[in-house]
Amino acid sequence: MVTTLYEESLRKMASRWLPPGHDSTPFRIHRDTTDFFGVEYGDIVDLGGRPYLIRHNAKEGRFGLDDEVKHWVKRAIDLTNGQHKIIKLVFHEKFKAHVGGIEFECFRSPRKEARILDLVAGHKNFMHGFSVQDEKQNLVRVLDFIYGLPLSRYLENLDSDHQSYFFDQFPDILNQFMECIRAIQFIHNHGEKHGDIRRDHILVDRQNGHYRWIDFDFNYRHRENIYGYDLFGLGNVLVFLVGKGDVLLQDLHKRGHPAMSTLREEDRNIVFHHRIVNLKKVYPYIPDSLNQILLHFSKGANRFYGTTGELLEDLEAFPKQ
Amino acid sequence: MTDGEKVFNKNILIAVDDSENARRAVSYVAQLLGGVGGFKVTILHVIPEAEEDYFSSSTERDEWLNQYKQKMRAVLEDCRQILIGAGFAPEDVSVRSPLRYCPSMAECILSERDELEYDTIVLGRQGLSRSEEFLFGSVSSKIVTHARNCTVWVVE
Repeated sequence: MVTTLYEESLRKMASRWLPPGHDSTPFRIHRDTTDFFGVEYGDIVDLGGRPYLIRHNAKEGRFGLDDEVKHWVKRAIDLTNGQHKIIKLVFHEKFKAHVGGIEFECFRSPRKEARILDLVAGHKNFMHGFSVQDEKQNLVRVLDFIYGLPLSRYLENLDSDHQSYFFDQFPDILNQFMECIRAIQFIHNHGEKHGDIRRDHILVDRQNGHYRWIDFDFNYRHRENIYGYDLFGLGNVLVFLVGKGDVLLQDLHKRGHPAMSTLREEDRNIVFHHRIVNLKKVYPYIPDSLNQILLHFSKGANRFYGTTGELLEDLEAFPKQ
Repeated sequence: MTDGEKVFNKNILIAVDDSENARRAVSYVAQLLGGVGGFKVTILHVIPEAEEDYFSSSTERDEWLNQYKQKMRAVLEDCRQILIGAGFAPEDVSVRSPLRYCPSMAECILSERDELEYDTIVLGRQGLSRSEEFLFGSVSSKIVTHARNCTVWVVE
């Protein structure tokens, strides 16, 4: 009887989001989310007495999902207040990643993401949320939904040539991205890595324009430089922003770009060899001071950035010139 | 010897892991100094505290750590026998494998050196590509850069 009343109350709360005719279908209520494949559209996940209506698995460029359905990440509605949430169920995954032919060990850690969520609560440059254990002690993360595009898509949608972009829009974009680097510096200072820094792991929040990092559950087994991979990610995003997209060797070649005659091996990305990092050779109006920063991520680099602080120090000097 | 000149002790710290490069570093010391006498060698492997995040449970982590310790005990003993076989007195060769929180292996090795007062550190070069060094850093490069008051031999 108690269950029936609870279900009746859930149905009332959920009716707004359920299709007509759902009235007769009994709810499936999950308090143990171990089998995340079994948590489906229209189900209820009850976390600590709070009911969430499951909509569908997250995919398509949100939370870095790139078309692939992630069955452990669900779009949901908090039925107590109608807010849209992302619910990340526990998925322990270990695998070998390959970047530019280099193999390294990666894994997902719900604990890491939960810790970082606590650390960055209220920080404008991160996604927000909290973690809660289900009845089988699975550490589920409940995230506020961010309305906005990934930075990569935001940039692709800008309708201007590179020179106009560089002088009109890029300065503001760089300032926002520097805020993102400071945000990464903040978590590094607390001994945490982001773990998966990519251009589509920054969302441009439509409500306030803030750039916000998402997805902290990814981790890699670091070797000597604990934050080296994060710094590499920041460098890649920076080069992407300066170039208004990837500047690829094969594209320049196809277009018969005049820069082809001056580009050297050392002008390429140190890991992704088909990407050009020495962008001044393609866009000569890029100031030397900024281009020099990009070259730290090139094959010809004499010195690598060891910390976010070093990168920020150089970037902070750039706009003043 | 001139006044004020630093007097180097004959304590050598060989930092190893389970790689061939580390074994080469041990063989180098064995060939160079085996039978010479007067040198004391410690073979060091710092066991990094297992990252909690990597494991789904503390049981899984403990199992991993036990297996790792067992593997490294065998590696250290193997290195010790290389040195003894080359003429080092058994009492002059010790092994050490402390468990430490180790965000940087190089810093942990240097810190061990400071605590134990060795004037020479020996280690094998990992042979990383520039890309790998860029992404993940190099223990030997960092030790060469940051070591103070000691000599570093990096064995190729």
